[in-house]
Amino acid sequence: MTAQEVRLCGLLLREHFGEVVEKVGTHLLRNGTQNLRTIIHETGIPVDLVKKSLCVLVQHGACVFSSGRKGPGSPTEYQTGCDRILRILRYPRYIYTSKTLYGDTGELIIEELLQRGHMTMSSTVKTVADRLTQNMEEGHSMDYSEVSSTFSKLVETHFLQRCPPLAQKTDVMTTATPATPGAPADPVSTTLSTPESFPDCYKVPHVTLIGRGKRQLSGDDGEDQKNAKKARLDSDTHGDEGIYWQVNFERFHLHFRDQAIISAVANKLDQTTSEIVRTMLRMSEVMTAPTATCTKPLSANEIFRSLPTSYNISRPILDQYLTLLVDDPMEFVGKAGESGGGVYVVNLHRALANLARATLESVVQERFGSRSARIFRLLLRKRHLEQKQVEDFAMIPAKEAKDMLYTLLSQNLVQLQEIPKTPDYAPSRTFYLYTVSQLPTARMLLQNCYKTVANLIERRLFETKDSKRLLEKSQRIEAILASLQASGAEPEQLTEVEEMITAPEKQQLESLRVHINKLDSAENQVDETIFLLESYISSTATLTS
Amino acid sequence: MEEVKVKKEIDLSDPAEIENRIKELCQQFPHGITDQVIQNDLPHLEPQQRAMAINKLLSLGQLDLLRNSSGLLYRLKDSQSTSKMKGSDNQEKLVYQIIEDAGNKGIWSRDIRFKSNLPLTEINKILKNLESKKLIKAVKSVAASKKKVYMLYNLQPDRSVTGGAWYSDQDFESEFVEVLNQQCFKFLQSKAEAARDSKQSPMVQRNSSFATSHEVWKYICELGISKVDLSMDDIETILNTLIYDGKAEMTVIAAKEGTVGSVDGQMKLYRGVNPIIQPTGLVKTPCGLCPVFDDCHEGGEISPSTCIYMTEWLEF
Repeated sequence: MTAQEVRLCGLLLREHFGEVVEKVGTHLLRNGTQNLRTIIHETGIPVDLVKKSLCVLVQHGACVFSSGRKGPGSPTEYQTGCDRILRILRYPRYIYTSKTLYGDTGELIIEELLQRGHMTMSSTVKTVADRLTQNMEEGHSMDYSEVSSTFSKLVETHFLQRCPPLAQKTDVMTTATPATPGAPADPVSTTLSTPESFPDCYKVPHVTLIGRGKRQLSGDDGEDQKNAKKARLDSDTHGDEGIYWQVNFERFHLHFRDQAIISAVANKLDQTTSEIVRTMLRMSEVMTAPTATCTKPLSANEIFRSLPTSYNISRPILDQYLTLLVDDPMEFVGKAGESGGGVYVVNLHRALANLARATLESVVQERFGSRSARIFRLLLRKRHLEQKQVEDFAMIPAKEAKDMLYTLLSQNLVQLQEIPKTPDYAPSRTFYLYTVSQLPTARMLLQNCYKTVANLIERRLFETKDSKRLLEKSQRIEAILASLQASGAEPEQLTEVEEMITAPEKQQLESLRVHINKLDSAENQVDETIFLLESYISSTATLTS
Repeated sequence: MEEVKVKKEIDLSDPAEIENRIKELCQQFPHGITDQVIQNDLPHLEPQQRAMAINKLLSLGQLDLLRNSSGLLYRLKDSQSTSKMKGSDNQEKLVYQIIEDAGNKGIWSRDIRFKSNLPLTEINKILKNLESKKLIKAVKSVAASKKKVYMLYNLQPDRSVTGGAWYSDQDFESEFVEVLNQQCFKFLQSKAEAARDSKQSPMVQRNSSFATSHEVWKYICELGISKVDLSMDDIETILNTLIYDGKAEMTVIAAKEGTVGSVDGQMKLYRGVNPIIQPTGLVKTPCGLCPVFDDCHEGGEISPSTCIYMTEWLEF
């Protein structure tokens, strides 16, 4: 956890859950695992507020608690990590993806689950159906069954997963803390989310879900569709109490990764080739482990059969495309064997490394110009070079090349390796080799990205604060307008109220809207860079371990 | 018959005679003679006399002493250079020889001093002398603009000294390189586009998007943008910069000996490629390009709230 990450986490927490949660969250991030008493003591926040903030964090899976390290009877300790909190930044992307994949219903399901951390299937379905119905015309309504079928589709494709089930918690209770009376008054202690317990988490939902979905349907018969949100507080049982669902971020990330690879292929080669890669990735989607370096081998025959007929690719042409993909220096696709008309794999990790490298190159290119980028790429290719060699290969005059190299060096994008011929490190008898190491550079840029996002959020908050009065005023006027309209006021009255906002004020509001939109979209764009760099860094971690 | 006669006439007591005979022998064998050859030719000559004669010739600069695998070799010195050096003293000859050895790479005056063990002032005097006689010339090296290297007057300086086609008067012609770089890219791009539009099978498309370095070279020559003659190697250096720009890739294929543009049975193929990603998200924000990024802190002199770059970007 770096300072930049903690700062960004704090800002995200403040935006989504308020200042108290921010205080508790950042305190936990800075100080590691702590018990309730220490948190209260060190933050100086009243007990009930701290408890509530911890509840919020636990509800969203951003905080885990475990029985004390000092053996049975010691107070429960709380721990939180940056990873989960930083996901908040990516919420828009998750929601957008689910919309493109599963339409409005999917979008709302994911949105609800993201906003509430975790929910039972029945309450999710109800809330989503209610919200959809509200947006429909009079006389139409959303059927629960449709929503629940979308829900089960999301589970089938692993976009949703069960929160680690109750049994785990009782395990913990019985083995570790038989003597303690559980966690201190924690209302959501049932959802103690130990990170991942995959085996049953993925298998069980498949089977039991469909059955439960049906049961729930029958139980919902005749219920008023226009129920407000409070409907989920109803005491009727739907047969899925205690089974909570959460968004499977990992699955979304795999999807993002695949999309990134497909678009990279489309850029580098062409559309048709990218469709072939898309087919390959889709075929191996379920079979390949999330951290695998490449997909399961697929024979050309299989690929041919799975290609959608609309592409109109004949078998020999497919073979040609596959050969081209294998020949490409980016090596997105590799050949694993000759059987079955050739066996192919998608090199996931290599693709990620290539994408990350392209990201680094693009940063250098945009920031220092294309000539510095040339030097940077040159060093990436040739590993170690002396200054003279850099000048010769890159065909850049000595003076400029020196300038660029030193600038890159001072920004830590390029490293310098000294190799002395004699032990005294005399400059005249020392080789100075420039080099680029991709992984540390990617790490550094990732930190820069965190800082950038934090800056953007900070600026957005500043902009809103600056015109707070104006915003409040416009909101008030809109409310008045709405109430007047509802009571059937005359048009003159309405225009009179409307004119309470003067023209310059309107202009100011408009420009504020533009600014906020710009900052928002920039945040999302930077998050794409963050995603690429994070996936690359984590992929190298699995390689070495 | 002549020779035999001459041989017989040699008077072993006259050193001049012996010297002449050795010179004659050297002329017969332009590649040089060993001690053994002289011994065979003049069997009655005392080793001491022989040594004396050879030493004299050496000191007069008429013989060259060389070393090869079988031992020492004596060779007649170029009559031309000896005639040039007429009227010069030993030091001058020494310096001349050092410069001659350096060939077309040239030699720096400090290196001459190390090799000759003469004081620098002396060397400067000699160099000036030689230059005025048009025996040597000074060439400015591109590696270090203030460094002058000396070489024989009639030599064409090496590429490492002049920098090849990319330099004029020790200045790197970066505009020229840039123009060539762009032209090469244009050529590769148009080739790739033509291949894409041909609507042939993917393999044929890819293969026809490749251009050999020879093709590029011909294209550039026909464009006539270059005043100097560019070699294939020069063009390949330019094409390599395109690779480092991420705009091209290269493959090497085996070619039949004698095919146009093949070197050692290999042919280098280049083709233009597209980048795999658009500019990344980070650099689309002002922070990604900010020169004072590291000094920026909330509440500080430079802060995101008061950032002028950010304001400019938002107003844009």
